Amino acid sequence: MSIQAKPLAESKHASRQVFNSSWLYIGPAIIVMGITSAYPVVYSIVMSFFNWDWGLKLDFVGLKNYVMYLTDPTFWRVLGHTIYFTVGAVTVEVLLGMALAVIVNRLGYGMGIIRTLLMIPLMVSGIIVALMWKILLDPTLGIVNYFLRSLSLPTSAWFGSPSSAMPSIILVDTWWQTAFVFIVLSAGLRSLPQEPFEAAEVDGASGWQAFRYLTLPMLSPVLLTVLIFRTIDCLKVFAIIFGTTGGGPEIVTEVMQTLAYRTAFKFLFLSRSMTIMVIFSLIILAIVMIYIRFGERTPAKSSP
Amino acid sequence: MDFRKKRLIFTVIAYILSILALIATLFPILWIFSISIKTQRDAFSMPPVWIFKPVWSNYVKIWQTAGFAQAFQNSVIVTVIGVILALVVGIPAAYALNRLSFRGKRFLTLWLLIAYMFPEFLFIIPMYILYQHLGLYDTQIGLALIYQVFVLPFAIWLLRGFFEDVPIELDDAARIDGCTRFQTLRLIYFPLTAPGISATAILTAIWIWNELTIALALTFDAAKTVTVAVAGFRGYASIDWGGMTAASIVSIIPMLIFAAFAQRYIVEGLTLGAVK
Repeated sequence: MSIQAKPLAESKHASRQVFNSSWLYIGPAIIVMGITSAYPVVYSIVMSFFNWDWGLKLDFVGLKNYVMYLTDPTFWRVLGHTIYFTVGAVTVEVLLGMALAVIVNRLGYGMGIIRTLLMIPLMVSGIIVALMWKILLDPTLGIVNYFLRSLSLPTSAWFGSPSSAMPSIILVDTWWQTAFVFIVLSAGLRSLPQEPFEAAEVDGASGWQAFRYLTLPMLSPVLLTVLIFRTIDCLKVFAIIFGTTGGGPEIVTEVMQTLAYRTAFKFLFLSRSMTIMVIFSLIILAIVMIYIRFGERTPAKSSP
Repeated sequence: MDFRKKRLIFTVIAYILSILALIATLFPILWIFSISIKTQRDAFSMPPVWIFKPVWSNYVKIWQTAGFAQAFQNSVIVTVIGVILALVVGIPAAYALNRLSFRGKRFLTLWLLIAYMFPEFLFIIPMYILYQHLGLYDTQIGLALIYQVFVLPFAIWLLRGFFEDVPIELDDAARIDGCTRFQTLRLIYFPLTAPGISATAILTAIWIWNELTIALALTFDAAKTVTVAVAGFRGYASIDWGGMTAASIVSIIPMLIFAAFAQRYIVEGLTLGAVK
């Protein structure tokens, strides 16, 4: 009897201790996240119902800020630019990164060093990437236009003209972030089993067939993760636009974050800027949810 | 025979394409470096000068002007504080999320993911106002703290992945042998996941070092980081290529050294979540 009673009491004591010590481990994280993210989010949501411009006056305006932006064609245009950039950059980066991963994976000698060197752009800050490309793509003194001229190809005004500004920024982002897609997909490729590919080769499948019916379906979970990360980062783009066009010419490269920056720090409409960010956060959340839903369905569909 | 020939051709094409990718990746940086060691006249000459005598005056100049040295020092300090904070807070949290049970665990996991999704300016303006009141605006510690909004979820998420590899049986064994939770963490987890913790520290450091958006809004002068200092050259983009390129190269170098020494860890960290 006493043998049974003792462990019971002990385990009860232990479980209480576990409960307490859990908070000791997780507590600091909760405090830090509370200050740095929960507080600002709640503050932003509350302030988006007010009118405030750095002064002392604080007026409750209800949904007025929301109505103002949701009926403002410029707001939708800027959202359009953000989507344009994201779709463009993510598509190019994923296709290019995937191609690179497949190609570099075929190499024997020198594969390691090539992979390492291709990773370098990821180590560079977005603002430095932006300034570098501003020099490289300078319409008159830039090396890129010089190359194009020497090959008698048409040159471009790059960041300077409304039609080429956004594609130029997509180009810059591609140089910067394709390596992320490449690195993650390379690791994904190396984690795949070899037998199906050997079998396919023996059966006379072409390289494309092996890619389409073996590599792609097996890689799809990794691909989905890469897509989600790149999409979030591209929607949040700021530094490379701030450093190259600053949103111009006119507003053709203005995106949500540069709009929020200008609204708060140039026009000093604080609460409006927070309204923009609250709406935009909901849009990002919705997009990520669509991805996750889509991802939940794909494996079931592709499995034979 | 035909089979082998086809393979050989593919390999040759793969090498050619890889080298093209390498050129596209490296040429921009090398070109920017070459501008930084040219005289003003050579930098702006068209057609470009390919052979020239390198001058280092731009590098000397940026260290002397516009608080660049101060900004560099600020970046080092903010990065060190930020990484330490992320690890000290993140390691126990990652351990708890993996191995302990407590109320609100699901909510916390979800919140960590959501916080990472939100755009910077959602946090920046409230923090700007709070920091003005608390006197944390334009301070190194304040900046290192606000960075945790992205760095902490990122670190916890990575660390959880690495901790998952530690078999739970080892935990139990240590507990039976009389280790406290903290001793288990220190004696079992630290040695076993040291490479993972290093990877987390390195990726966190790179993230903080390269961050611009938050630093731009929450610093002014005293705590201005190197990215903000480089961004300061933006207005002079058309005139001072020498200073701008030299500043860019100087701020890239610490991260390149990192990459050279810790390449394997970086790859491991970047791929962890996706491939698992």
